[in-house]
Amino acid sequence: MQGCLTVSRESQSTNKKFAFVKCGRMRPQILSIEARMEEGAGDAVTELLSGVDFENTKHQKVISNGYGPYSGGYANGYTCINKRNGYRGSEQNGHVLASSDEECTAKNMKGPIKNGYVKTTLKEPLKTRILKESFEPPTLLTAALTHISFYILMFLGYLSQALFPPKIVKEKNRDGYLPLFDRFASFYSRYVYRRIRDCWNYPICSVPGNEVVLKDRVTNDNGWTFEFTGSKTKCLNLASYNYLGFAENSGPCAEFAIDAIYKYGVTTGGTRQQYGTCDLHVELEKLTAEFLGVEDAITFGMGFATNALNIPTLLSPGCLVISDEKNHASLILGIRLPGATVKVFKHNDVKHLEQILRESIYKGQPSQEGYKPWKKILIVVEGVYSMEGTIVRLPEIIALKKKYKAYLYLDEAHSIGAMGKHGRGIVDYFGCDPKDIDILMGTFTKSFGSAGGYIAGTKELIDFLRKNSFASKYAWAMAPPVAAQIIAVLKILMGRDGTNEGQKRIETLARNTRYFRRRIEQMGIIIHGNEDSPVVPILVYLYSKIAAMVRTLIKEKIATVGVGYPATPLMEGRIRICLSAAHTKEQLDYALAVIEKVADEIGLKYSRKPIDPTPIDYDKIKVYVD
Amino acid sequence: MGKGVIGFINYWYFRYLLVTELYMVEKWERVMFHIVILLLLSLLSLFNTTVILGLVSWVTQMIFFQSSFPETAPSQAIHGEL
Repeated sequence: MQGCLTVSRESQSTNKKFAFVKCGRMRPQILSIEARMEEGAGDAVTELLSGVDFENTKHQKVISNGYGPYSGGYANGYTCINKRNGYRGSEQNGHVLASSDEECTAKNMKGPIKNGYVKTTLKEPLKTRILKESFEPPTLLTAALTHISFYILMFLGYLSQALFPPKIVKEKNRDGYLPLFDRFASFYSRYVYRRIRDCWNYPICSVPGNEVVLKDRVTNDNGWTFEFTGSKTKCLNLASYNYLGFAENSGPCAEFAIDAIYKYGVTTGGTRQQYGTCDLHVELEKLTAEFLGVEDAITFGMGFATNALNIPTLLSPGCLVISDEKNHASLILGIRLPGATVKVFKHNDVKHLEQILRESIYKGQPSQEGYKPWKKILIVVEGVYSMEGTIVRLPEIIALKKKYKAYLYLDEAHSIGAMGKHGRGIVDYFGCDPKDIDILMGTFTKSFGSAGGYIAGTKELIDFLRKNSFASKYAWAMAPPVAAQIIAVLKILMGRDGTNEGQKRIETLARNTRYFRRRIEQMGIIIHGNEDSPVVPILVYLYSKIAAMVRTLIKEKIATVGVGYPATPLMEGRIRICLSAAHTKEQLDYALAVIEKVADEIGLKYSRKPIDPTPIDYDKIKVYVD
Repeated sequence: MGKGVIGFINYWYFRYLLVTELYMVEKWERVMFHIVILLLLSLLSLFNTTVILGLVSWVTQMIFFQSSFPETAPSQAIHGEL
């Protein structure tokens, strides 16, 4: 009971009046939470929050292999998640004082003030979804070797920098100025990244569909400069975020986009608030809102800016943001801009999130004079994490959000289109109510084969953003052909084109994902993440192995992406494979055969998990069957 | 995985380069690193054969042949006994 301890410590302080008031006000609340957690209302909550080990098996079937999801060993977390949103709760909730004060909320976002909890009873039977996520940590030996080799690399880098200083302009220490560049960052990019720079930033000269044409290049000075050879290589594309395979230069979407160029031109030449809006934008926003099942939506021409410029509109100093540690850079930038207090919870750890929520609600804003509640509390999570391949535990987080009256910001950049039976993202995947999420954000860059981003939610929220967001005020409106492509894709996904093409693609992607992930696991290679996530990170740990693998795969005509620091922790280099509905089984089989060969050659079979040797039949894999 | 002895050695040298991150550094750095490592190893073995081994033989003589305590210095004892 951290909360009670704090009270007793503060009651000894000189400000006795405050301490008394605080005690008087807060202690019963904390106790009442505890009491509730133990008694009736806690029934559903403890189920939701306790992950694997809960014992209430009345509604749920718990499959457990004895390892908790993060409990070390080779955690192979089978977790049951309650699909029903929210939980029973009493109306005697003391958290109104502590969480969001009505005045500020009403001023900024009139919509979801009353998102407190409602007295509900169990009407429909509880559904469960089994989340199968794997996080196999490396063996001690691998970790130790990775560290040692990293120090060797650093040593050689610093030595090389000292002996042969690069011929670049140097920044001298100017009085009264901070250095413009981070020293470690510039060292790292010149003496670690530069050595294997040929594995990244490949120029391409075709549509990045299921295949992509790379422009060959060579370097004669260890990665400082490159020269084109003039030849081209056609590779199988396992690198693009082309989840539904809509990156095409022919077909209905492309034709609709081309028609839009003839009708509207390539740009409307203004911001949304000035003359930039055309009927395509209006139609797109309407369709997006309908697709997601919410009241309204607003679209922007740039996905990164959707996060970075809209979050500051919603927050102010005095607000609290609780962010997942693996959140994308755009979210982090957006969170830092408005000057709100930021707290970070461990990746996908709902217990840690709740602990932070409780503590911060209890302590209130950091201030000298008395208890000051937070203006707003915003929980920021992503749907599918692009570097981990994990899926957010949405039902649990929705329950927490309702319990503590916080707002929820869900970034569906990688999940919209790619997850769920109808392609409506993580919300659809768990069967939650989209209205439970206050701010639904997503991008059109990935599954839709286009560009831009959207924010969806209540009418009040979207109107507020339309009026106040920087991206709506100053950024140019989305280009008409780009908007047309998204509209065409949305119509296909919603089945408005009279075919079941959209549904077919969603199912193919889900099948490809499961097939590929299972086959890779059979090989004894460590992969992270959920079995349904189309992002498959193959752990290789070492920079050299990233380089060796990417180079060998390109020789074998497969294009992949290597990921190292700063996108991942320093010692956890990985090869990230993105699956697509455009891949055929033959292509996947070819890729798997090559990956197995390369894994043997460079030693990637780190996994110590028992392997199930039953061959996997592609056609018999079940997807989205309840 | 390579054929014959040469192939075997080549392959495992490649694997060694991978796990030490020497695969991605320039050739002179690789050579220099190997020279430094060899130098360190030979210094270590030199230290072992002279100092450590001398001390060990001196101590064993002290324990087991206390009656005939060696009159010579430890370094000479090596040449005499071993």
